[in-house]
Amino acid sequence: MNRARAMGQHLRTLSIAALAAFAGFPLVSHAVESGAVAPTVSLPGISATVSTSAQPGRWVYVDFWASWCAPCKRSFPWMNAMHAKYQSRGLLIVAVNVDAKRADADRFLKQNPAEFTIAFDPAGETPKRFAVKAMPSAYLIDPSGRVRWVHRGFTDADAAKLDAELDAALSRK
Amino acid sequence: MVVTDREHHSAHDAASVPPDRLARRTAFSGLGSITAAALALPGVIASVASAQVAPLEEGVVALKVHAYEDRQPGLTRIRAISPSLYIGVPVASAWSFEATITHDDVSGATPRWHSAISSASKMGDHRTATTATVTRSFERWSIAAGGAYSSEQDYRSRAGSLELRVASEDNNRTWSFAVAHTDDDIFPTNRAVRRATRRTDEFGVGVTQNWTKSDVVQLSITHAQGRGYYNDPYKILDIRPSERDQSTVSVRWNHSMGASGDALRTSWRFYRDTFGIRAHTLDLAYAKFVNDQWTFTPSVRYHTQSAADFYYDPVYDAQIGEPFPVGNPTFSSPDHRLSAFGALTLGARADWRIDSRWSADFKLEFYEQRGAWRLGGGGSPGLAPLKATIAQIGITRRF
Amino acid sequence: MKPILSVNNYLPNRPVLYGLAAGLMLLLSGCAFNPPAPWERGDLAKSSMRFDNDKLDSLAQKHTYFSKEAASGGSGVGGGGCGCN
Repeated sequence: MNRARAMGQHLRTLSIAALAAFAGFPLVSHAVESGAVAPTVSLPGISATVSTSAQPGRWVYVDFWASWCAPCKRSFPWMNAMHAKYQSRGLLIVAVNVDAKRADADRFLKQNPAEFTIAFDPAGETPKRFAVKAMPSAYLIDPSGRVRWVHRGFTDADAAKLDAELDAALSRK
Repeated sequence: MVVTDREHHSAHDAASVPPDRLARRTAFSGLGSITAAALALPGVIASVASAQVAPLEEGVVALKVHAYEDRQPGLTRIRAISPSLYIGVPVASAWSFEATITHDDVSGATPRWHSAISSASKMGDHRTATTATVTRSFERWSIAAGGAYSSEQDYRSRAGSLELRVASEDNNRTWSFAVAHTDDDIFPTNRAVRRATRRTDEFGVGVTQNWTKSDVVQLSITHAQGRGYYNDPYKILDIRPSERDQSTVSVRWNHSMGASGDALRTSWRFYRDTFGIRAHTLDLAYAKFVNDQWTFTPSVRYHTQSAADFYYDPVYDAQIGEPFPVGNPTFSSPDHRLSAFGALTLGARADWRIDSRWSADFKLEFYEQRGAWRLGGGGSPGLAPLKATIAQIGITRRF
Repeated sequence: MKPILSVNNYLPNRPVLYGLAAGLMLLLSGCAFNPPAPWERGDLAKSSMRFDNDKLDSLAQKHTYFSKEAASGGSGVGGGGCGCN
């Protein structure tokens, strides 16, 4: 009986959720924004585990990307440039791949070689914890582990702006 | 694209028409130009403005050659060859320019009545059609303006369109609102009329929804209001209303088959107009992912329609001879396109991804139209089946 | 003698329409509404899943069918894709 009632309630909730979703109201919007404590990243990388918790006191730029995402592809040469430019000033770039199939990611990496750190999350657990809203999304995390800023999408126009923002952040320490 | 527009099709079995009738029809046949009366730029809204909210991801140049041939039992044969070119260019990450140009080269015979019969009515025609669209994309919406121009010996069509797209915050839903206007000018070479015009306004609303991570669904509604000349100047007793309102409702659904990488594409369209025509069109295609280089896509399409209120059947009378409309109706037409029939297309397409820049595609389709294939029966009598073969080859380069 | 002007033009369409609509609803309802997260749109981004996959092909098709059949338009709008930013 109770179970039936619970089920009814469940159904009601579900249908309200579906309705709300269809009407365009986001039900979950606990996006990780600037100022929030960043979730940690601990994922398999190309040769070893990639873990941001093992990098205390460093600036970390966490990027979420996929092989099927065209703006992500445009951001790769730029991230290589940023890696070369700011590595010595303590910036760690971690680009988390969210492809369901590793083979797709590998093919992409062959065509778009990355000098920065790559991590793989085919199950999508990390983007879920970050509540990623767009592809690509980038989070700059300061040495205290707080999100300094979030950037969604990537266009060529963003490149110079983000470069300046990285420079400013790293200079402030 | 094939300008198969003309009424080259179908109709009587040659056997059912006595030779003297054939001769008479030959005498009636004008030299001919073709056509037209109906060419225009079908579905301007979809063909002109089709950008997404996001700008083009990369530059694309595509070239296609489309070949068409009619096959009818012992009668007409129309051939068309149509090269076409597409160019899409993203500019400054917020603008997209797209353009197409198509040239049709058609040869064959054109009919006077329902079918093409006379060898005297040889025709040859060229058509050139161009479309251009410019799209400005913003984060959540885009606006596209398009133009289209098509011309041939006895026909000219010009169209303009505007389309607004708005994406939901989660980017899983896109609304589309479009308007278009078309001006058609007809100059029949037989001087049935000196110059006739037609004006059409079109409106469309569509919504595309990512239903799940494997399903995307689209619902769209269009309405067009046309005023002007709809007759076929090359047909006897072809007098149509000077107004035509057309409405469509269509649903499309694409489903990804998961790990295999295959996709099932389906669509259904309902159409009605003020000529009294109702039609349903169903499309199914299965994209089979063979390997990283090849995708193979068999497809099937079924179309069924009722006849226009003023369509008259090709029934030859022993005394009177040629078919003619009963009584003295205001409107009448022997155009087989306005008859009741069903049509089936079977096709297969192969897509070859040569490398990350180059790709090629090949397509072969067989089309057949019969009165008897109309869904639920009641197809128009007396028309021979129309069969057509379409072959297409294309190459695409991305930048 | 057979009537020359064809009548009976409207006959089977309404039931057909309802049948198809019902069938589609059924298919869709079997597939619960659960829009993907931004990182789950890999399948939807494939060209085989797009509605405006090959523009020249759809132009050619439209033109061919326009020349043979009375119905035109409503071939859909674009949209879909990866919804990337």
